[in-house]
Amino acid sequence: MTAVTAGRHRGVGARLFASPSVRLVGNRLLMAIPITLGVSILTFWVLNLIPGNAAQQLLGADATPEQIRAMELQLGLDKPAPLRYLDWLGGAVTGDLGRSLVSGQSVAGQLGERLAVTGELVAMAFVVSLVLAVPVALLAAYRPNRLFDRLSMFVSVTGLSVANYVLALVLVLVFAVRFAVFPAIGFVPLSESVGGNLHSLVLPSAAIGIPMFCLYTRFLRGDLVDQMQGQDYVVTAQAKGVGPWRVLLRHAFRNSSFGLITVVGLNLSTLIGATVIIEQIFALPGLGQLMLQAINTRDMAVVQACVVVFAVVAVLANLLTDLLYAVLDPRIRYGSR
Amino acid sequence: MTVERDEVLTADPAERAGAAALLEIRDLRIRFTRGGRRVHAVNGLSYRLDAGQMLAIIGESGSGKSVSARALLGLLPSSAEVSGSARFEGAELIGMPEREIRRRRGRDIAMVFQDPARSLNPTMRIGAQITEAIRAHSGIGRKEAGERAVELLKLVRLPAAERRFHEYPHQLSGGMRQRVVIAIALAGEPRLLIADEATTALDVTTQAQIMQLLVELQERLGMAVVMISHDLGLAASYAQHVVVMYAGRAVEYASAGRLFGHVRMPYTRALLGAVPLLEREPHAPLPVISGQPPDPAAIPKGCAFRPRCASATGRCEQAPPFSEHEPGHWWACWHPAEDPPGGSGGGGGGGEDGATR
Ligand SMILES: Nc1ncnc2c1ncn2[C@@H]1O[C@H](COP(=O)(O)OP(=O)(O)OP(=O)(O)O)[C@@H](O)[C@H]1O
Ligand code: SF4
Ligand SMILES: [Mg+2]
Repeated sequence: MTAVTAGRHRGVGARLFASPSVRLVGNRLLMAIPITLGVSILTFWVLNLIPGNAAQQLLGADATPEQIRAMELQLGLDKPAPLRYLDWLGGAVTGDLGRSLVSGQSVAGQLGERLAVTGELVAMAFVVSLVLAVPVALLAAYRPNRLFDRLSMFVSVTGLSVANYVLALVLVLVFAVRFAVFPAIGFVPLSESVGGNLHSLVLPSAAIGIPMFCLYTRFLRGDLVDQMQGQDYVVTAQAKGVGPWRVLLRHAFRNSSFGLITVVGLNLSTLIGATVIIEQIFALPGLGQLMLQAINTRDMAVVQACVVVFAVVAVLANLLTDLLYAVLDPRIRYGSR
Repeated sequence: MTVERDEVLTADPAERAGAAALLEIRDLRIRFTRGGRRVHAVNGLSYRLDAGQMLAIIGESGSGKSVSARALLGLLPSSAEVSGSARFEGAELIGMPEREIRRRRGRDIAMVFQDPARSLNPTMRIGAQITEAIRAHSGIGRKEAGERAVELLKLVRLPAAERRFHEYPHQLSGGMRQRVVIAIALAGEPRLLIADEATTALDVTTQAQIMQLLVELQERLGMAVVMISHDLGLAASYAQHVVVMYAGRAVEYASAGRLFGHVRMPYTRALLGAVPLLEREPHAPLPVISGQPPDPAAIPKGCAFRPRCASATGRCEQAPPFSEHEPGHWWACWHPAEDPPGGSGGGGGGGEDGATR
């Protein structure tokens, strides 16, 4: 086919692929494959290095070597590690995540339940922190170095310097022990009671969300002030006779939002670490808790599945960030000259 | 409108002296405090500009050109202390409440900045940026403002105005962007346009086109223009009057023709020496502006040019007053240069109207 006819008769697929956003998604999804593969191999390898296996964990400390040997045979743990990995991988790519060595339950089923809890926790923390951070940062940047700005700066610096788990303990001490407004531990499923569910997630999501709020506020305020004081287009807007709020919202905030998206996207991947700790503290039946338990019992299939989910979430978060960029930033949307 | 303007142009500057100026700046002083140090950016600047005229402000980098222009619109950071007087059509701009000065921005005085790549918002369509400027000053609807915006884009000769209206700044070339910035500046129908090195970032051909456009708009709209530049040659070719600034003060002011024929102040002479465009006496030594421009945090007492001036004497330890020594010709110097012997104006300027376009 000549170039001309190729151009004229390009199929839907070719045209789709020519769109930068579609290409971006394709590239990222392709990239997700080696990343998840690498992460799962690494996890498998590390877990094999630590002494003990699922058979020993199941049988306890009193088990005789013969009993352990028999259990290992039953669980397939006698096979060499690379072979076991390949077994798992073969299942995983066909959508079969296997069964838990410990409970015998299907891993996929367990993951679904746990993922819902963790997802809700993260979503709540994320939405609330962003919804609060944007107006606070705008108000602070409207009059830099005035009282409100200094106050919000103080709060965000303090919030950022406190570790997640310390914050969680403080929240529990104040709102669960001292004032008993929220439960210290436990989780009410959404299916049981919507109010109860939200109630049980307030403290854990605050423990995750407050540092996020502080980070976003600090970043956005700083970027807004930089835009307002250092960018020529802001002076152009002011010289037009446009009011200060409009300059801040329509001009500075629009440009600052790209930086914010990057920070949020990066933050979303690091959040995973936070959920593992927070779920442990508040006894939430989330993915992080499941993974810790599975590591303790050397329940390889479950650990692997959790790790893969975390990796996929991180890749998706980055993809989402880039897609948002592509949608919002005209320099990307329309290409550069 | 054109008729009015011609009257202004042909009138003798001395005759017009009594008439109210469009812009009259007197003893403008601006200082910043940065890291405990006082930076004296502008130190008693005075000049005047009549309606419909083009005035060039020239001077080395850091001489206070931009700062003094931004002060007129109240666009300086809050760390700036401004004193003195700047009257626009009789109204005092210095110390004017923020609300009132904002109402005047773009409508009385508009500004075009140096770098067109940076002075447009990269995330907004061209059309939205002009429409915003139109609507900032009139209550007209979105649609009508859009039509007016396209008209403005045509006025500044942007090719394919209707299409460009929907595009983003990065889709335009530097020269086209500067046309858009000018269209934004024209949106409020200002009587004064300040072009702060509006052509510096452009290549020579585009630079000439933009200057042509400014002159044309000045004539068609009867708008006064202050062009800020490093480039005496550019000033000589387009402006009617020239202010030379040094260390935050005006050191010489005259019509362009007068200035280039009868330079008085040694600093202006030095600047002229650096302009190859203008004729010089054959074999005359090429003047070089030796030494550093003064540090605005430590401006010398007396005449600020003294450390670099070949004609300096003990008297120069006293600051020379900036006053009208010859009709229409102001300078600040104890030892002004004489006209070169035998020549009626050796410079490239020539006639009193000063405009050699
Ligand atoms: N925000 C500020 N804070 C402190 N000093 C400033 C500030 N803005 C300008 N200045 C100082 O004021 C002086 C005059 O600056 P200005 O920008 O007016 O110079 P200019 O004549 O326009 O120079 P250029 O030709 O480089 O544009 C400089 O010494 C500069 O460092
Ligand atoms: S006053 Fe003196 S130092 Fe200043 S420019 Fe004139 S001759 Fe030079
Ligand atoms: Mg400048």
